[in-house]
Amino acid sequence: MMQSAPFNFRSLIIWIGRLVIAAVFIYAGYAKLFRPDMNPRPPIPIARSLFALQIDSYQMLPAWAVLFLAKWLPIVEIAIGLLLLVGVGLRIWAALVTLIIGGFFAVVLRAYMLHLDINCGCFAKPEPLTGWTVLRDGALLLLAVLMTVFAFQEARRPHPWSAPAPEHS
Amino acid sequence: MNRRLLLASALTITLPLVGGLFLVAAPSGQKSQTPKKTAVSAKTSSATQSAELPPSLISVNGVGDIDPNKALGSKSAPVTMEVFSDFQCPACKQLFTSTTQRVMNDYVNTGKIYIVHRDFPLPMHAYSRVAASYSRAAAHIGKDEVVEVALFQNQEKWEGNGKVAETVASVLTPAEMKKVQAIVDSKALEPLIEKDKQLGQVYAINQTPTTWLHTKSGQAFPVVGFVNYDVLKTFLDQLVAQK
Repeated sequence: MMQSAPFNFRSLIIWIGRLVIAAVFIYAGYAKLFRPDMNPRPPIPIARSLFALQIDSYQMLPAWAVLFLAKWLPIVEIAIGLLLLVGVGLRIWAALVTLIIGGFFAVVLRAYMLHLDINCGCFAKPEPLTGWTVLRDGALLLLAVLMTVFAFQEARRPHPWSAPAPEHS
Repeated sequence: MNRRLLLASALTITLPLVGGLFLVAAPSGQKSQTPKKTAVSAKTSSATQSAELPPSLISVNGVGDIDPNKALGSKSAPVTMEVFSDFQCPACKQLFTSTTQRVMNDYVNTGKIYIVHRDFPLPMHAYSRVAASYSRAAAHIGKDEVVEVALFQNQEKWEGNGKVAETVASVLTPAEMKKVQAIVDSKALEPLIEKDKQLGQVYAINQTPTTWLHTKSGQAFPVVGFVNYDVLKTFLDQLVAQK
C-alpha cells in the first residue's frame, strides 16, 4: 500500500510559502504591466515607463539598469510565481525568489532609513514607503528563507516510496 | 490522509494571508489619475509677457490657471508639463539643472511639450516664498529664465543668508532690478503664487519637485521627486507619440 508523505511543519511552511509568494509575485508582475489602479489603463509600454520612474526614484541605479529592470522584472516576477506554483525544481526557484525578495528588502530598508519620501513601487500603484512596508517585506523575506531552507532539508530525506535500504549481513 | 490534511491546513492558513495581501495591494476607490481641479479660468492671452498686473491666466490642454509668463513652449504641443517646485529645495535644483534644462532643449523648443512652472514654496524653507516672488516678478518683465538659473545655482548662498534680492540683482541690469523690486513690493503677483499652492493641494502634492504630465487625450501622470533625464525621456517620447 502506498504511503503519503507524513504531515510535518516543514512541509506546511513550504506549501504556504509557495502559495503566498507565488500569488504576491504574480500579482506584482501583473500590476506593473497592466496598472489595474489606473483608469483608463495605460498601454504596457507606458506602464513600464511609469515603473521605470518608480525604480529611478530610489536613486540607486544608472538609467540603463533602470530601463532594463523596468522591462524585465514584471515578466520575471510572473514567471517565477508560476514556477513556484507548479513546484518543478522547487529548490532552485525558492532560492532565486529568496534572493530577489532579499534584494527588494535591502532596497526598501535603505530608502526607509534615508527617509526618502518615495513610493514603494512594489505593486505599481502609488504606495508611500512606511514602516509597515518594511515589516511586510521583512515578513515575506522570512517566509521565503524558511521555505527555501525547508525545501533543501526535505529533499535530503528519503522518499517514502523508495525501497528500504538493504540489510547488511 | 496526511497529504490531504497537509493541503487543507496550508490552504486554511494561506487563503486568508493571500486575501489580506491582495486587500493591501488592492486599488483604491478613486481610480482616475486625473486630479480634480478648480474651475478653468479666464481669457486666453497670446502674449508671453503680459503688461497687466497680475496677468490674465490661460488654459492649455485642459490645464487651467496658467500664468503665461511662467510657461514656455507651443500651446498646441501634445503634452503639457506642470513642474511644482520650491527654489530652496535641493532636489528641485537637481531636477532643474540636470533634467529640466534638457527637456527645454529637446522637447519644449521643438514644440513637443508646453512647460508650466508652478511655485510650491514649502513652509519649512524660510526664503523660498521670497525667491518665488522675485522669480515671478522677473518673469513679468521677461527675465524668468536668467533669474531661475541664478536662484538655483546660488541656492546654498541665499538660503543661508537670506539675500535673495542680491542674487537676483546680480543677473539683471539696475533698471530691470528696479522694475522687479517694484513688482515684489507691490505684492501684485502674490495671488498667483497662492493659486499655484492651492492647485498643488488639489493635486495632493506633498513634496517637491512634483511633475504632472498631461496629454491631449486627458490622461495625467504624476512624477514625484528627481528623475533622471534618460529615464524620463523614454516616457516623454511615448506620451508625445500617442494620438
